[in-house]
Amino acid sequence: MKAAPFDYVVPDTIEEAVQHLADAAGDVSILAGGQTLMPLLALRMATPSLIVDINRIAALSGVSRAEGAVRIGATTRQAQILADPTVAAHAPGLTKATALVGHHQTRNRGTIGGSISLAEPAAEYPATALTLGAVIEARSARGVRRIAADDFFLGPYTTALEPEELVTAVHFPEWPAGTRLIVEEVARRPGDFALVGFVCALVVEGGRISRAGVGWFGMGPTPMRSRKAEQALTGQSATGLDLAGIAALAVSETDPMEDGHASAAYRRKVAGRIFQRTVGQALAEQRAA
Amino acid sequence: MSASPPGGVAARFVGQRVPRKEDRRLLVGRGLYVDDVVLAGMLEAAFVRSPHARARIKSLDLEAARALPGVRAVYTAADFAHFGLDLFNSFAGRGSGPTVRTLADGHVRYVGDPVAIVVADNRYIAEDGAGLVMVDYEAEDPVVTIAQARDGAPVHDGYTDNVGVAAATPDDPEIAAIFASAKHVVTGTIRHQRQAHVSMETRGIVVAPHGEGELTLHLSCQSPHMAARYVSLLFDLPETSVKVLSKDVGGAFGLKIQPWREEVAAIAASLKLRRPVKWIEDRLENLTSASQAREQEITIKLALDAEGLLLAADLDYACNVGCYPHSNDCNTFAMMLFTGAYRVPKLAYRAVSYYSNTVGQAAYRGPWAMESLARETMMDVAARQIGIDPLVLRERNLMTAADQPYAMPSGMVVHGVTPCETLELALAKVDVPAFRAEQARGRAEGRYLGLGVAVYVEPTTMAMGGPFSTDSAHVRLDPSGKVSVVVSTHSQGHGTQTTMAQIAADQLGVDVADVTVLEDDSSRGGFGPGAGGSRQAVSGGGAVSHASRILADKVKAIAAHMHNANPADIRIEGGQISVAGVAEVSTTVQAIAEAAYFTLDRLPPGMEPGMEAQYRYRPPPIVFSNAAHACVCEVSAETGVVKILRWIASEDCGVMINPAIVEGQIAGGVVQGIGGVLLEEIAYDAYGNPTAVTFKDYMIPTIHDVPEIEYCHIITPSDSEGGFKGVGEGGAIIAPPTMVNAIADALAPFGARCLDLPLTPTKILELIEAGEKG
Amino acid sequence: MSQHSIEVTVNGEAVRAEVEARRTLGDFLRIDAGRTGLHLGCEHGVCGACTVMVDGLAVRSCLMLAVQANGRDVVTVEGLAHADGTLHPAQQAMKDEYGLQCGFCTPGIVMTLAALTADGARPTEAALRDALSGHLCRCTGYQGILRAARRLAQGTAA
Repeated sequence: MKAAPFDYVVPDTIEEAVQHLADAAGDVSILAGGQTLMPLLALRMATPSLIVDINRIAALSGVSRAEGAVRIGATTRQAQILADPTVAAHAPGLTKATALVGHHQTRNRGTIGGSISLAEPAAEYPATALTLGAVIEARSARGVRRIAADDFFLGPYTTALEPEELVTAVHFPEWPAGTRLIVEEVARRPGDFALVGFVCALVVEGGRISRAGVGWFGMGPTPMRSRKAEQALTGQSATGLDLAGIAALAVSETDPMEDGHASAAYRRKVAGRIFQRTVGQALAEQRAA
Repeated sequence: MSASPPGGVAARFVGQRVPRKEDRRLLVGRGLYVDDVVLAGMLEAAFVRSPHARARIKSLDLEAARALPGVRAVYTAADFAHFGLDLFNSFAGRGSGPTVRTLADGHVRYVGDPVAIVVADNRYIAEDGAGLVMVDYEAEDPVVTIAQARDGAPVHDGYTDNVGVAAATPDDPEIAAIFASAKHVVTGTIRHQRQAHVSMETRGIVVAPHGEGELTLHLSCQSPHMAARYVSLLFDLPETSVKVLSKDVGGAFGLKIQPWREEVAAIAASLKLRRPVKWIEDRLENLTSASQAREQEITIKLALDAEGLLLAADLDYACNVGCYPHSNDCNTFAMMLFTGAYRVPKLAYRAVSYYSNTVGQAAYRGPWAMESLARETMMDVAARQIGIDPLVLRERNLMTAADQPYAMPSGMVVHGVTPCETLELALAKVDVPAFRAEQARGRAEGRYLGLGVAVYVEPTTMAMGGPFSTDSAHVRLDPSGKVSVVVSTHSQGHGTQTTMAQIAADQLGVDVADVTVLEDDSSRGGFGPGAGGSRQAVSGGGAVSHASRILADKVKAIAAHMHNANPADIRIEGGQISVAGVAEVSTTVQAIAEAAYFTLDRLPPGMEPGMEAQYRYRPPPIVFSNAAHACVCEVSAETGVVKILRWIASEDCGVMINPAIVEGQIAGGVVQGIGGVLLEEIAYDAYGNPTAVTFKDYMIPTIHDVPEIEYCHIITPSDSEGGFKGVGEGGAIIAPPTMVNAIADALAPFGARCLDLPLTPTKILELIEAGEKG
Repeated sequence: MSQHSIEVTVNGEAVRAEVEARRTLGDFLRIDAGRTGLHLGCEHGVCGACTVMVDGLAVRSCLMLAVQANGRDVVTVEGLAHADGTLHPAQQAMKDEYGLQCGFCTPGIVMTLAALTADGARPTEAALRDALSGHLCRCTGYQGILRAARRLAQGTAA
């Protein structure tokens, strides 16, 4: 398992990087954390002519707050995100999701930009970005583009990015303090991709759900968002909800597949149960708080 | 209780948790595994492998690969034809079965079948070259499953069907009568999926040809001696001209019991190129082309009387042995052992192995383990059907001390085992009444707890004939007073460099730190089969014990002669020699050793000088170990995920040389067994493509998936030298039924029967649903 | 394919090499730097046997290119014990607790334990266990590894 030959460049600036992408005309891979790209290279499932390593571009790394969102630079490592107090305070859903990403050793290298760009349907970050309404910031030689997560994930490992575009950051909008956040998954072993993954954000004001985000991973060809379930939750009293009914609605908006690890029926069944249990718990905690 | 080694020497190291001698070098990165070997002029190999499960090779185009700079050779079957290589499919020699060529010759018969070997300056270029070999295939319909093999086109030329071996007991009208009249007849079909051995170090070889027909092989193997014999026979070389070196091996579990197609291809390539060649299997190759294991199904029928006493068992067994199995058999041993630790008067079986267009099978830790899975899970099924506690059913049927020696219906005779005692210990540790109360409380709250128990007896040592019959030990006491033991054992993690030293140190009365065990070189010491069949403690240990005692007797004879004492009065301890009752006499083993080499006139008249002894030990043909394991688990009815809460291993492996190493063997086996029940599966799609080709999909347990194992030891010395019994495979044999029974107990409220492995979350929810509906 | 001249500090020693872009850090360390203590168990980032410290963090060396380590500080298992032979506490804990059998996965496990306990850090047993879930061991059933982690968490390793 040794990679096929390729050329390698390691630009210092975003401008240089995107120029390389523009010049390479698609026959190129961007190397961020490498936790997915490197195995694909070793298996010769990826055989680009050029690798553009973006790890030395200082401007791509780091966490900041702007415009009501937490901006995470594309090469910010998962381990940094997990430990970052700004993320914990203002984008706690991302902290929760990160704790479930891979293993300690891979989080030390793996980046948010890499995970979002890869668009693995069973991964935590894409679904979290989708559910929480994140915006993906991308650069090319032609300029900056902001793409809503809703418009970003098009299929398995397929995104709205153009071949010459580079994800530079992911903006997670800040949800109100006290938002109930759920990131829950069932995996064969901890650290594996999810058989069923669930992300949910609930804002409860005066006993009513004023805003809801419901999303899934491992439940379809892309990370999935259950808009009908969000609508069904929004405006409802936090007590006496028809959780079973809304769970069924939420699951109806997914499209899980059968693979060697679980059947589609399993995924649907367990998704509904997780929804019911965790949303029920979250609302109960909200009442108790 | 503790046992003394023969010869009346006090055991000072045997039985102790002596720190492993292997660990220091391995912890600081100074181990020597095959991939660490680099030789001048060495080339590296990669294989071109079939993407089809079954196809005819229409043509091969090697030109582009041969033209790639850095590629030194590309060989196909035609290039090796002059070697006349028809591989022995058994470590013991040529067995029955299909012809096994090094490289595919005209046809490919499984995905991963090696078609060509590319030898290049390094592995990167070798893989580049392999990618340039163009093969034109005409695909054919493959035979993938047992069902397909039964009536599919023969996988092998010259065969009329896909039956490898079929074996059966003769028709016995008495058995039919028993089933016809039995109060209870219990039946079930158990399926065990295919697994991979997954040693953390893959297979690998460095071939160094030199001189005239001499070969040095650095090999990841289970026995340097056996590998040297295999290669010398195959290439028709004198055995002494093949030297196999194997210092550290990163696990084997049966996979590396003999060199196989790829290693032999690397040797052939090296002989043709007259340059050293390295082949290190990568994990993709390992999961798709290295021999695999299990894939069995068995239908069991048990007859029991009104009291639940077992009357007879009837078995229908089939296994998919793939294309080129390591040994051509149908697991008759599993049939013969089915009755296990129970008194069962009658046994009938029919067993068949089938060839298919999948990777060939090899022995994997407890190759006959299906007997325990089948028996112990069916005991629980029977108990539920009859309406008695599975523990009670076991207690009624287990063989007691008074029953032994007990002749199984297969004719195997069991003695010296303690199934009742180990079970009793395990259950006491569980505290069954407290557990049942907790289980009842849990069920009321929707928590599903289960207790699984399994009991077995395990044949170890396997010295019934053939290469496994003996082991050799050469023990040398140097003039320095240090001891070297050259023994035909071999460690792939077994710790034999520690355990063999403990035995020698006790016999010789020296410090274990002064004993060095050498087992990494086929040219050193005598032939021995190495690891396999849980045999090294008994057979190797017996050889070391006996050879060391010969030497100790010589030390005593010399010391007695020097000090005008009776040899029977000589005591050796901690390297010091004393004479019983004569306080003023004190000398050292080192002084005696030095005299034996340097001052020969001080030796008794006629005594051979020097301090070397050798002994070839023939252990009892089979030494039985036994154990009872218990598992407490919780099954989530929401997700079907199983969490193991407790695991108790209660075993009797006779005299334990090193309890820490014994427990390590048990733990490793148990966790492999857990993996087999919950996680691992080598599956093929309808086209014969393997679907778990990386560690992302072939899932072995991680530290999150394992319980902390609680151990109980009973020590019933065997009648082998030292009283040892084998313990290497038992954990892997008994863990699967223990785990399955725990899950089935947890799911008992749903009436679930858990007989189809692996028990994935999907399957467990299906079982719960089937129960809810039923 | 591009070639790169790199200099990597390996166990405190500068190692210079010309490497192809595609060479992994793991291959560089084993072949070019001669640090065969790290092992390649899968080359696709799952088994953890190749774990080393890069700038103090435990990472999988099969998932980095050698050229990416240019100018970095790398510690392999050979760099842990004292010059006088005293084992690093992570190594000693593994030895005392029979945390290894075949030893192939061991160097990676030791590196993770060493990275997490560097500079006197005392992570919880749960945190160590979580980090160790990134390592596969086929021999030990993780029993001794778990006990070694506990010792390190409790600060009772030598």
